[in-house]
Amino acid sequence: MFELLNKCIDSAVGSGASYADARILISKSRTISSKDGDLEEFNDSENMGVGIRALVGSSWGFYATYDLSDSSLIKAGQKAFLIAEASSKVPGRNFPLADVPIVQDEYITPHEQNPFVVSSSDQVNLLVDATYLMKKQGSSVASGRLNFWDTEKWFASSQGHEIYQNIIESGGGISSLSIGDGETQIRSYPQSFGEYRTGGWEVIESFKFLDHTERLVEESSRLLTAPQCPEGTRDLILEGSQLALQIHESVGHAIELDRILGWEAAYAGTSHLQLDKLNEHRYGSSIMNIVADATLPGALATFKYDDEGTPAQRVDIVKEGIWTGVLTGRDSAAIAGVSPGGMVRADGYGRLPMVRMTNVGLLPGDSSLEEIISSTDDGVYMETNRSWSIDDLRLNFQFGCEVGWLVKNGKITDMVKNPTYTGITPNFWGSMDMLAGEKEWVFWGTPNCGKGQPSQVGHTGHPASPARFKDVRIGVRG
Amino acid sequence: MNIWENLIEDFEKALPSDVQCELKMINSTESLTRFANSHIHQNVEEEITDVYLTIHLNGKTKNMNFNITSMKSAKDIIEKALSGIENNPEDITWPGLADKNNSFNGLKEISPEDPDLRAKKVKEFIDQGKDFNAAGYCSSNVSNVFVWNSNGLNSADTATGAFLDGIFRSETSAGSSHIGNKNLNEIDASNVGKEAYQIARESQNPEDIDPGTYEVILGPDAVSTILVFLSVYGFNAKSKVDGTSPIEIDSNQFDTKLTLIDDPFAEGALNFKIDSSGSKKTKTNIILEGVPKSFFHTRRTSKELKDKNTFHEMFGWGDSFGGIGTNLYLKPGETKKDEMISNVKKGIYINEFWYCRVLDPITQVVTGLNRNGSYLIEDGKITKPVGRLRFTQSFMKSLSQDNVVSVGSENRFADSEFGEGILNVPMLHLKEFNFTGGVSG
Repeated sequence: MFELLNKCIDSAVGSGASYADARILISKSRTISSKDGDLEEFNDSENMGVGIRALVGSSWGFYATYDLSDSSLIKAGQKAFLIAEASSKVPGRNFPLADVPIVQDEYITPHEQNPFVVSSSDQVNLLVDATYLMKKQGSSVASGRLNFWDTEKWFASSQGHEIYQNIIESGGGISSLSIGDGETQIRSYPQSFGEYRTGGWEVIESFKFLDHTERLVEESSRLLTAPQCPEGTRDLILEGSQLALQIHESVGHAIELDRILGWEAAYAGTSHLQLDKLNEHRYGSSIMNIVADATLPGALATFKYDDEGTPAQRVDIVKEGIWTGVLTGRDSAAIAGVSPGGMVRADGYGRLPMVRMTNVGLLPGDSSLEEIISSTDDGVYMETNRSWSIDDLRLNFQFGCEVGWLVKNGKITDMVKNPTYTGITPNFWGSMDMLAGEKEWVFWGTPNCGKGQPSQVGHTGHPASPARFKDVRIGVRG
Repeated sequence: MNIWENLIEDFEKALPSDVQCELKMINSTESLTRFANSHIHQNVEEEITDVYLTIHLNGKTKNMNFNITSMKSAKDIIEKALSGIENNPEDITWPGLADKNNSFNGLKEISPEDPDLRAKKVKEFIDQGKDFNAAGYCSSNVSNVFVWNSNGLNSADTATGAFLDGIFRSETSAGSSHIGNKNLNEIDASNVGKEAYQIARESQNPEDIDPGTYEVILGPDAVSTILVFLSVYGFNAKSKVDGTSPIEIDSNQFDTKLTLIDDPFAEGALNFKIDSSGSKKTKTNIILEGVPKSFFHTRRTSKELKDKNTFHEMFGWGDSFGGIGTNLYLKPGETKKDEMISNVKKGIYINEFWYCRVLDPITQVVTGLNRNGSYLIEDGKITKPVGRLRFTQSFMKSLSQDNVVSVGSENRFADSEFGEGILNVPMLHLKEFNFTGGVSG
């Protein structure tokens, strides 16, 4: 494969590019979905192709094709150069690429059972059994989904990188939807849209779907008659998977250097963060410690090298509440004068690598969910995301959860439906005063992070444990 | 295309006689030039040839997709598809293959646009506001789709599209504009740039206003977002099958000023004239003078709801999504923009919505924000730009009877939360819209 990649790269450099890199991918994926005890969808996918990136002056060109013949590879290199040359007609300022070690290496995701070797009937049956059971237990719509990815990547650059990686990811989830008079209520497990990690079939086995069906059905049904979440300002306790999405939206995207530099301004937006405030800006309370760590075993965004050949790293993002780090690529790091963090990835061979969250997580504290609840006089405990929205500076957000529980005088009392909360990023994180510890720290994974044009779907990780936030506006309704 | 003809021949030879088979191929070149900080920073082109296979045998179904490079042979693919199929549960909603009489051929040979032409359009946009910071994209695509099935259906179609979408930013404001056309040459980049620049200039130093219920005038991109949400979560018949759609056919759910039609054969329509079953699409009334007339059906949902198929299966999407219209036109009214503004006592003009998410599909309560140009209108005049507001509002209620004051007289292709080129809409003046938060939360 490296020989093929070098044909492509030589063609781009021979045409006049100052730098070129290329990736060949063989991507396998499997999607299984089930509804009410029936198989709704079974799809196996496999594709293979090359994407090449060429730099001319300060301008990039990217070309991708499924055709790996010699003539096509040479044409691909030339096309990448010609596209970069067209870009250079409306140029930006020149920049060097930040230096990274030039390596030849390989990496395979540690896993016990490759999900494409495990019997597909076992996979189908697990999901069909779970949704059948939920339907029988009274769910209006019982659904489940499994996704598996097996991605082989070969990366080479004109600087001499030659890296092979085989990334294996697995995940899925089940949910029970109850339909009432003009409303729907849902409960999901392990989290809304499923839980995803690097690893094989053992990831799915660890979820033990069948142990959770009865609770999901009972709770989704009970929510129909539960009172509305009260409106007002109260203490908010977030379960780990909801906190993971809170981190994703109000920290993860805000610290992407391409956004901070304005590269995503017209689409995904920019950031409220300004680089000249790095190491000064207070992001949250003193118990807020965020790291971006692509080396965490089993987390969804774990790999050995990113799609620019930069080694995976652990980078401090927020230390004791102070903003200290950003997510970078080789070009954005050079422009901003910071170290490249190995955080650039692409969605398949056909997409341009761009800054992507790795495992951006909140380090655990020294409390526990039990302790947090017992020390709360008047609050709401919310579980499992149902809706999310945040402005294009990543400041003003509103989240809805599947279920809320009133907390009075240190005890969970009533279930409430349609719980929502809203806030402003630094105020919200500044109000975090209790954080559960390592025993409740889970490597939550988000498999559906949209960014870029053409659109790319990224897989990101967000380790988190439950936490409490003081005086949050909750219960917003239309 | 030779690849397609060879593929059909190979699959016909390798296919056991008792197997029902549907084969599709998407061959496309998609090019996109992105700019930010007033220069081109990303510029990409991708050529794909992806193949989608559905096999049905003894009541059981399996889907596979792959690209030409990863495929060893038709025989190998069919063997993989059939392997283990007997252990799958029965596919009780299998609707059968499309009828061969639904075949349609609209294939054309069209070459992709040159990156230099996209760069030229980008420069024309940027040149309209040199004192501001420009960002956006210019894209062009040529897509060919092919569908064959073992019933004898053989269809193909070609679609092209070109879009320019951009913003200008100052320290305190942003303004956006968007245009779509079948042909990149027809895109008037200067005009789009002028509009975005004017909005950005007039939106400088916005003031915060209190949340509450306001009259609103929605620009085409905001209208498009409301309609695309109602399409996906309401008119998509899959949501009706799942019990989560608020749409009731033949009821007076919308304002009588609203008529929404899906017309793949309208002049300038950007998307395919066949659906992914290979069937020729038809013109479909979705809302007629405020009354829902049809869901967007696939073969499966039409079978499950015992309703007539409307041929809205989507290329590249699985059965679990359902279908939506991709050539939607909201019928224009007679009210010009200035007249619309002059009829507002106290309200807000919103150019674009941002990050909208459904709180409950059956009520269609959605939360989101405004961006890229919003103004306060008082006594029929724009009085000042306004800052960020969060709305929490039922999209069903926003278009319900007597809440639409007027419909704009000019349509254009508009962007939306779920993509561009599928909705061609005018502006709308709505009587009430609920804002639940401001800049401070």
